[in-house]
Amino acid sequence: MSLPFQPVRVGNDFDEEGMLVFNSHHRLVAVLAHLSEDNEVSPGQWYLEAGFGRSNGPSHPTFADLDMAQEWIAQRLAYRP
Amino acid sequence: MHASFLSQDNPMIRKIESVFTLTDDERQALENLPMQLAVIKDDQDIVREGDRPSRSCLILSGFTATYKISGDGKRQIMNFSIAGDIPDLQSLHLKVLDCSIGTLSTCRVGFITHEALRDLCERCPRITAAFWRETLIEAAIFREWLLNVGRREAYNRVAHLFCELLVRLRAVGLAKDDACDLPITQGELADAFGISTVHVNRVLQQMRADGLIVTKGTRLTIPDWDRLKEVGEFTPGYLHLEQPEEAA
Repeated sequence: MSLPFQPVRVGNDFDEEGMLVFNSHHRLVAVLAHLSEDNEVSPGQWYLEAGFGRSNGPSHPTFADLDMAQEWIAQRLAYRP
Repeated sequence: MHASFLSQDNPMIRKIESVFTLTDDERQALENLPMQLAVIKDDQDIVREGDRPSRSCLILSGFTATYKISGDGKRQIMNFSIAGDIPDLQSLHLKVLDCSIGTLSTCRVGFITHEALRDLCERCPRITAAFWRETLIEAAIFREWLLNVGRREAYNRVAHLFCELLVRLRAVGLAKDDACDLPITQGELADAFGISTVHVNRVLQQMRADGLIVTKGTRLTIPDWDRLKEVGEFTPGYLHLEQPEEAA
């Protein structure tokens, strides 16, 4: 599943470069932040800043690139218990 | 290797003596308590959930974490233990362990058989009461952690934990002034607070920038104790230390 992305500035005081992620119905499902080099644990990675609906929860993983982030979010959206 | 400890070297004796003065017989019984000494490297389990231990583990130096793992493999740390603690003391009465205990740093530990502990408790009722008291305080720490993790913001949570650890380390002589050695990684802090390591890192960076903490390697220094206490909403009553001035 290919999810639409839209660049955004995130006001988290640390990592401003971000990406809105939408589902196939153009509803916002996640906000990703690109971790700056100042981050001491995962610099350069994409971080799930916030998830909505099925992307919401205690997990806030980091991803090596946007493709991996998209894959994880798509899996969460497709999950049916 | 079996060994007995003189009072000044045994953090368990120091801890009990912070609550009441031992009689000569009680001190003798504690010093003669047979203990199997071991050095365990960091990131090793000492006991695991489901174990049926026949001994308990006194921490002589280093840090351990008490934790459980969720069905999808996520770890929740519910307490850190330090010198003088016996984090699996409950296995003396509860046969199957309901949590795991692992080392965070290299630990020196003393394993004491349940048989020896039972014998000690039968002979020394005040020491039995001291052990009981310890497990009650452990429960009080769990309650405080539940409030911390469930209801405080991440920034305040971290401040609260640093306050608690500094006070507990001071009580066993392992923190001088407002500084201590804290060999806990950001990943381990994340598992204790139920937040991501990225979030922990941002909080630590913010706390450093705000002048609440200074970190150098594993060394933690608190430049302004009163401010950190205020941020962490920390009141040491739940630790039930007998010398409140240590916690002030």
